[in-house]
Amino acid sequence: MNVLNVSDLSIDFPTARGVVHALADLSFSVARGRRLGIIGESGSGKTTTALAVMRMLASPGFVSGGSIRLGDLDILTLPEDRMRRARLRRVSYIPQGAMNSLNPVMRVEDQLKDAIVAHEGRTDREALRTRLADAFAGVGLPAHAGSLYPHELSGGMKQRVCIALGVILNPELIIADEPTSALDVVTQRQVMQTLKDVQKRIGAALILIGHDMGLMAQSVDELVVLKDGVLVEHGDMRRVIENPSHPYTRELVASVPLVGGESFLGNSVAAPEITRSREDLALLEFENVNKAYGGITALHPMSFSLSGEEPRVISIVGQSGSGKSTMGSIMLGFNAPSTGRVLFEGQDIARMSQHQSREFRKNVQAVFQDPYACFNPFYRVDHALGFPFRRFGYATSDAQVQESMHLACQSVGLDPALILRRYPHELSGGQRQRLIVARALMLNPKLLVADEPVSMVDASLRATILKNIYDLKDSHGISIFYITHDLATAYHVSDYVMVLYKGQVVEVGPPKEVIGDPRHPYTQLLIASIPWPDPDREWGGTTTAAEDIAALDAMDHDAPTVFRGDVPGFRLDVGE
Amino acid sequence: MTGVPGSRAGELKGWQMRRLESPWMNPKLFWGAGLLLAIVALGIIGRLFWNLDLAFTGAAPLKLPPVGFENLRGQEGAWVHPIGTDGSGRDMLALIVIGAPNSLFVGLLASLIGMSLGIFLGFSAGFIGGRTDDIIRVLSDVMITIPPLLILVVVQSAWGDVSLTMMALLIAGFVWQSPTRLIRAQVLSMKQSGYVQMARLSGASTMHIMFREMLPNLVPYLFGSFIANVTTSIVTAVGLEVLGLGPQRIPTLGRTIYEAINAGALIQNLWWWWGIPTLLLGLMFIGLLLINLGLDEVSNPRLRKLQ
Amino acid sequence: MGRIPRSYLLNRVVTLLLTVWIAATLIWIIPRLSPVDPADIMLGRMAAGAGAVENADQILAQLKENFGLNDPLVIQYLKYIRNVVTLDFGLSTATFPTRVSTLIARALPWTVGLMLLSVVITFFIGNALGAIMAWDRSPKLVRVAIPVAMVFTSIPPILSGLLLMWLFAAKLRWFPLTSAYGLTVEPGWTWGFVQSVIHHGFLPALSIVIVTFGFWALGMRGLMITVQGEDYVMLAKAKGLRPRYILYRYMIRNAILPQITAFALKIGLLVAGQVLVERIFAYNGMGKLLYDAILDQDFPVIQGVSFVIILMTAVSVFLVDLVYPFVDPRIRHDGGET
Repeated sequence: MNVLNVSDLSIDFPTARGVVHALADLSFSVARGRRLGIIGESGSGKTTTALAVMRMLASPGFVSGGSIRLGDLDILTLPEDRMRRARLRRVSYIPQGAMNSLNPVMRVEDQLKDAIVAHEGRTDREALRTRLADAFAGVGLPAHAGSLYPHELSGGMKQRVCIALGVILNPELIIADEPTSALDVVTQRQVMQTLKDVQKRIGAALILIGHDMGLMAQSVDELVVLKDGVLVEHGDMRRVIENPSHPYTRELVASVPLVGGESFLGNSVAAPEITRSREDLALLEFENVNKAYGGITALHPMSFSLSGEEPRVISIVGQSGSGKSTMGSIMLGFNAPSTGRVLFEGQDIARMSQHQSREFRKNVQAVFQDPYACFNPFYRVDHALGFPFRRFGYATSDAQVQESMHLACQSVGLDPALILRRYPHELSGGQRQRLIVARALMLNPKLLVADEPVSMVDASLRATILKNIYDLKDSHGISIFYITHDLATAYHVSDYVMVLYKGQVVEVGPPKEVIGDPRHPYTQLLIASIPWPDPDREWGGTTTAAEDIAALDAMDHDAPTVFRGDVPGFRLDVGE
Repeated sequence: MTGVPGSRAGELKGWQMRRLESPWMNPKLFWGAGLLLAIVALGIIGRLFWNLDLAFTGAAPLKLPPVGFENLRGQEGAWVHPIGTDGSGRDMLALIVIGAPNSLFVGLLASLIGMSLGIFLGFSAGFIGGRTDDIIRVLSDVMITIPPLLILVVVQSAWGDVSLTMMALLIAGFVWQSPTRLIRAQVLSMKQSGYVQMARLSGASTMHIMFREMLPNLVPYLFGSFIANVTTSIVTAVGLEVLGLGPQRIPTLGRTIYEAINAGALIQNLWWWWGIPTLLLGLMFIGLLLINLGLDEVSNPRLRKLQ
Repeated sequence: MGRIPRSYLLNRVVTLLLTVWIAATLIWIIPRLSPVDPADIMLGRMAAGAGAVENADQILAQLKENFGLNDPLVIQYLKYIRNVVTLDFGLSTATFPTRVSTLIARALPWTVGLMLLSVVITFFIGNALGAIMAWDRSPKLVRVAIPVAMVFTSIPPILSGLLLMWLFAAKLRWFPLTSAYGLTVEPGWTWGFVQSVIHHGFLPALSIVIVTFGFWALGMRGLMITVQGEDYVMLAKAKGLRPRYILYRYMIRNAILPQITAFALKIGLLVAGQVLVERIFAYNGMGKLLYDAILDQDFPVIQGVSFVIILMTAVSVFLVDLVYPFVDPRIRHDGGET
């Protein structure tokens, strides 16, 4: 018996420039106890679908056709008060931004209590208390968590509070909208496991909305693929992933980088090894650099030297809080190390003359995580490209600047005529990030620091952008520090990988060794926590996520770094 | 409801942006600026076509009503003094032609100086940081709770008569705090923003970052803060004038009201004496409020949806 | 007070002391930079007023000694600070030889009373209106009508006071023109006196309320619109909570927080506005005392009144800051910044 039947659902958003069809003729159904995934990129209409089922569409959006039936309820014609009673009791919603989904001025137990009271009226206090305790225990939260305020909980804990809330009235249907998108892989696995366990226990149907094919493969029975508000494929999860029929689905499946197997960079043409003129001085060196904020050590002492003679891609891999971004900003001179020195071509970057400092800026460039923030909203996007080009003295004439910008755009696959004279908000995230890569290309630095360059870009574009960045090494001889949380991409693009955990380097070496066959328990846990887009591959091995996290907490933080081999041109020392 | 998480939020943002291609074409901004310009125009045109000596001489009959009205003594308004005369026979029109722009001038000048101080201090605090930041932050936190009027009352009662410019300068000493706080907060958050980091990577100088990258994005805030300060300054100036302080020999709207209240204009029903300056001040404040509301809508697109 | 973090409390106490100290110093220092010496005026007026007093010369000599005008500036300053700390501002020159502190003690209750009535009530009315304006379930009429009326609330209370006074006191004669209570009633806890006080206080209070509620309403409207878009409000709706409950416990409860901070910042201006209203209504509070002192060039009173009002403002801000951690748990957690 189907819990939810959606048939021919269409949703329109009237705008000043005409009506936008956010969703067109969508039909699907979910049965009791089943898990349905809805996958798509931003703008595909997946969240709109979820909100329509909750009847919480943001105005001016409206349902222009079709029907939504939840059991015996016709959602679209239900009177307002009955709809309110159906929410949470019949269908619950677990939101994406768990960070902000809880009322900051209310204790979390009160936020569960008010939900119960709203549906069942005032109930016995003692009974209420045991119910809350059970709810928290059911999602693996300690009993005292209820008396805390949201800001006192970690992201993973907040998300589990939201799950506890979602199932507290035993609904028939749970809609989870990207419930793990803000969490790191280890926590993601724990939260997803909790969600699946709870859903099985109460026998509800689950709709999981997401963009990650791997997560879907590990979590759902059935898959709906949406593109621009249109259903392009629907079927058994295994069938869709192993044998996709629509080209878009194939593209989605193929865009997931895997550890091992074929490189998503395509067959890299035996690139002409470009070597820079020999210099005795290393391109970039860390001398016993460490960083502490207050009493907390963000980065333990480390030294390395990158010769820059041959271009290298060095990946720095870690979860949030590992110190990887701190390392990046120290390299760029944005953040001074607490002790130790950073040397660029033998010169301490903290004590540079004006001329040296300009040389440093000219030769060390960066690509940042957030492509939306990197452009000044006041200027057209060509400002970001033309300004440094002139500043560093590359410009000879306006025409030449224009020409360089055009060439750079073309080589990252953008049409300069369409792009350059636009304002930042008129471009998509992918376009902007490619422009930043084009900017780096124009400036032709010796070193590029790429800090999570693709984590905010849609999956289908990630490979393209990484390829653009990788080309900088291959065809321009630029060395790259690739800072990421994503081990799979690091596996493919890098010559050397450093795994960071709580400011310490735990394992280093060539990617085939470090990521392909990890030795350090942390690296092993990271790799095991990645959801693979392969239904046959067990997610996380034999241990449960909770056990893994306990093991992680118990891990010896002073264990020595595991060295797995060297690469010419890069040398690392981890000292005290 | 706006700001729905997930895919659609991004989309909506895009539409809003497009819809607002020219946010400055805002009816509130238009009417607000219109009102203020009308007051300036009154000052300019009045100076060209009206004898301003009438504001000082007081040769006319006392307490004459505007044209079309009659005062308690049964005198009728005359075209020589179209909006009447005050208790000492000075021409109201001349008083207003001089006084209204004077009040606006004090507000604009005080706010302009306060604003410049605020920009300077705010940028210093945000950029230099450390001790400098601490001092500026604590000082502006402290000074913002002190009502300027009360300090100025002490100051001016000690100084006696002051010129308009002097009064503006004194007020300016108390309206730099809120722009300082605003700019400091904005600078601190912008310093972390991607585009400022990009500019630093592009070898931009501190000056370039301050004035070319940050300042343009601050303009709506600065403008809003400026207008709010003009209001505060005028209110403070009028307050001082109504207490009998401020310039003693130059006509201002506040001084005219002061004289009217002291002469019992309210009981004697000499409404034009206090009413016309009050009306003009009211229009001035409404104009400033409209500009500020318009600016709010320019910088906070979500407010626009309500209209 | 165990729930307020120590660093936060310390921070606020330091700010309070700094505010009071800076204000006191400004009041002392700026007049001394002026071309005219206020002490001269003061002594001159005293001498003139003392003509009829027998031992005037002695008193004046005594005063000169008291003012310490012969001491070096530093000593004068330190003495002044000591007097300020004990709220001793010397003698009034106009109502010689009444103590300034006596005059202030007489006027202060009226000002505080009027302030509690107008400023505090305005805060609640304004925020309630702002919340209603922004709530998507309010009748459309309310949402459109209020912003239109709001335009007139940009006017400072002194102007609205004039208009109300003219209309309701001078023209219609519904309310008395001046003073805080009738001349014929004897002050005391009698019904007649209370009635008289309410009758006299109505117009001054109203002239403040009608022009300041708009400030809070507009601010609240903007905050409510922001809060409406927050994820936690959306989840509250998805929880099936009643709309009214969401309005109170989720939306207003969060939107009010910045308003409380704004209230602390605004108190100074509100008090200044009230002083002016008291002046035009000749209300028996600090405003009238200040105005009379300005007319009489009674410098000790001017100084004393200004200082006490600033002190009052600073203490109010301090109290608001003390309450704040109880309404925002995040402050309790990480202390320091607001």
